[in-house]
Amino acid sequence: MQLGPTGPATIRGKLGAAACMLLASVAPAVARADPSGAVTQVDGTLLLYGEQSRTKVAEPTVRVTRLQPSGRSLSGQVVLDVMTGATPTGAMPPGVVDSTAALPPDEAPRVQTMTAASGGGGGGGSEHVPGPGDIPLAQFHDTRVALDAEWHEPITNIFGSTLGGYYSREKDYESVGASGKLSLDFLHKLTTLTLGGGVNRDHVFPSGGTPLPLSDGTVLHDERNAKDVTSALVGLSRVITRRWLISVNGSRTYEDGYLTEPYKVVSLIDPATGYTTGQITEGRPSTRQRTDVMTTMVYHFTSDVLHLSHRYYWDDWGVRSNTIDLKLRHDTGDSSFLQPHLRYYNQSQADFFTFGLVQGEPVPTYATSDYRLGPLSTATVGLTYGFHVPEQPGEFTIRAEYILQFGKGHPDTAMGVQQDFDLMPPVNIGSLVAGYSVAF
Amino acid sequence: MAAPTPFPRPADGSFVERGDGCLVGRFKAMASPCEVLVDTDDPHEAALALRTAETEAQRIEAKFSRYRPDNIVHKINHAGGEPVAVDAETAQLLDFAASCYEMSGGLFDITSGALRRAWTFDGGTRVPEPRALRNLLEHIGWDKVRWDGAAIAMPEGMEIDLGGFGKEYAVDRAAALVRAEVPRAILVNFGGDLVASGPKRDGRLWSVGIEDPDHPGTSALYRIEIETGGIATSGDARRFVLWGGKRLGHILNPRTGWPVEGGPRSVTVLASTCLEAGTLATLAQLAGRGARAFLEAQGARYWTV
Repeated sequence: MQLGPTGPATIRGKLGAAACMLLASVAPAVARADPSGAVTQVDGTLLLYGEQSRTKVAEPTVRVTRLQPSGRSLSGQVVLDVMTGATPTGAMPPGVVDSTAALPPDEAPRVQTMTAASGGGGGGGSEHVPGPGDIPLAQFHDTRVALDAEWHEPITNIFGSTLGGYYSREKDYESVGASGKLSLDFLHKLTTLTLGGGVNRDHVFPSGGTPLPLSDGTVLHDERNAKDVTSALVGLSRVITRRWLISVNGSRTYEDGYLTEPYKVVSLIDPATGYTTGQITEGRPSTRQRTDVMTTMVYHFTSDVLHLSHRYYWDDWGVRSNTIDLKLRHDTGDSSFLQPHLRYYNQSQADFFTFGLVQGEPVPTYATSDYRLGPLSTATVGLTYGFHVPEQPGEFTIRAEYILQFGKGHPDTAMGVQQDFDLMPPVNIGSLVAGYSVAF
Repeated sequence: MAAPTPFPRPADGSFVERGDGCLVGRFKAMASPCEVLVDTDDPHEAALALRTAETEAQRIEAKFSRYRPDNIVHKINHAGGEPVAVDAETAQLLDFAASCYEMSGGLFDITSGALRRAWTFDGGTRVPEPRALRNLLEHIGWDKVRWDGAAIAMPEGMEIDLGGFGKEYAVDRAAALVRAEVPRAILVNFGGDLVASGPKRDGRLWSVGIEDPDHPGTSALYRIEIETGGIATSGDARRFVLWGGKRLGHILNPRTGWPVEGGPRSVTVLASTCLEAGTLATLAQLAGRGARAFLEAQGARYWTV
């Protein structure tokens, strides 16, 4: 659901701010409407995203927008996500390597023989022998299709409304949503108040059935699990000077239903040695209330545009996060620009996040080892280049980003051999977006 | 293994090679790869350990395998309802089977082997006809067996199968015999059920990996370090049938004839003997979703997949 703080409504009617916002936008330039008629704009992007040794995503997106001279606009978007690769299961490193691998004997703890349900004791080649400190991964492949439509209607010259609908589907997840937004300009149109809300009805249907939380993986049932998401937002943006715009947006989201990740597990460990002894499925509360406040400042220098934002997020699972984002758009000629991008993200772990549970101790009510709820940080460095081809319509953009994901992987609670391992090893991530935007 | 075989391989397929910090004798018995790890540098000691373990494994297999036409189990299964007098060793095994039946509330039953022939756990969707299962269940139940500690009699059509703990018993027996012959720390492993008897000369512990059921023979999921004790694993995630959208494992409830639901894919238990470990692992599997609670209640050290 798109409930972003910016949209055509806030851009229209405020020339100074409009220029500022338009130029600051990473997205391809909004069409310059011919005052006499409607304009159709087509934006196409292709995102390639890759985590080192983990998830790979290819995501083509097409958005078509029809802008009327009255200010009314209709847009539709199709997104296709093809995801493949490996993702952490949540389990801790086993602390053990296979004895049949041809590794130097003193390099790592080794096993001398194997216990197994049948056979066992046998050797054999292996394509990939995990090291003792390797984070266990699970292979996956999925395709997601998402459709959304948005209709914006200026009701008076100071009052506008936007309505949207959303649908997405993947192998084990379905989402249907609707959203609405009202905006009101006042104080000589230098201030805009935005109020919005949305509802989503999602369903999760894990392949192989829904496992009982915090169990050995006992299948509870085969039915769909519902998840309802309700959100509300309020935003205020204010043009301070002709060059300077500040906006503050807050949103609150309430989730109710199946919020557990059905394929993630939590390791059980032997406190004496730190070796893993088993694993259980994870379990999360069935409600979550999330709140965020985002402050954005856009400053228009003579030609460059600085875009600085800070987002503070908190939820009732105990996750707190801060995001600082800095972009500087620099025009490199009449028809091209460069925009370096820096971003830093840091979050605290959820109250029920744990790297592993001690075998034999009582299992808590909720537990997850999903790194996305752990003490996680990311640092991003990126560069966008946008240009027009002379004599050709449309604008091209290319954005490349390097993201380093890291975390506090040496918790004080680590036991035995786990103390030697980085439980949140750094992951190198690369992303490349190519976009083309044209209006006619 | 890590190093090339430094010793000649005899023609019968059993041989000694250098393992990781020990010598390893290997052979095949009970349809499984078997090995004896000996904490020694002397190949003669390793060869003696190998011969001792192999001989005992073959003896037990010959005496108690359900598939042999000439042994005591065959005789019991084809007595046509008549009582069969048994020797002391067989009597001990039957006593043990009787206690297991009692302890498990009838779930651990050496007369339930016929049920396994009704099920094909090949990952397909075929389940037995209810009628066929009912007919089979009539011929199952240790409570229908008359066992007085010296002779056993059971209704015609019933049969016993000691495979549920025969391998574990063989491991403990072989280890005791090897220890009597070779004064070294040893580890005997028959097809994944094992017992270790330390301590080793360098003070290090025996290091045992628990096989990853998804990658048999290639990778260890968990690691256990022991000086002395028995380890056994029960369950096999590769053997299942799909029914009603559920994945049913191959552990069968002898009272219903249906697979036990909700248990771990595999359970590994560490106990003082291999027999105890194997029995606890099997009982845990029979407890289904109560497997973990059962093992906690026993105070057992265990690992689940």
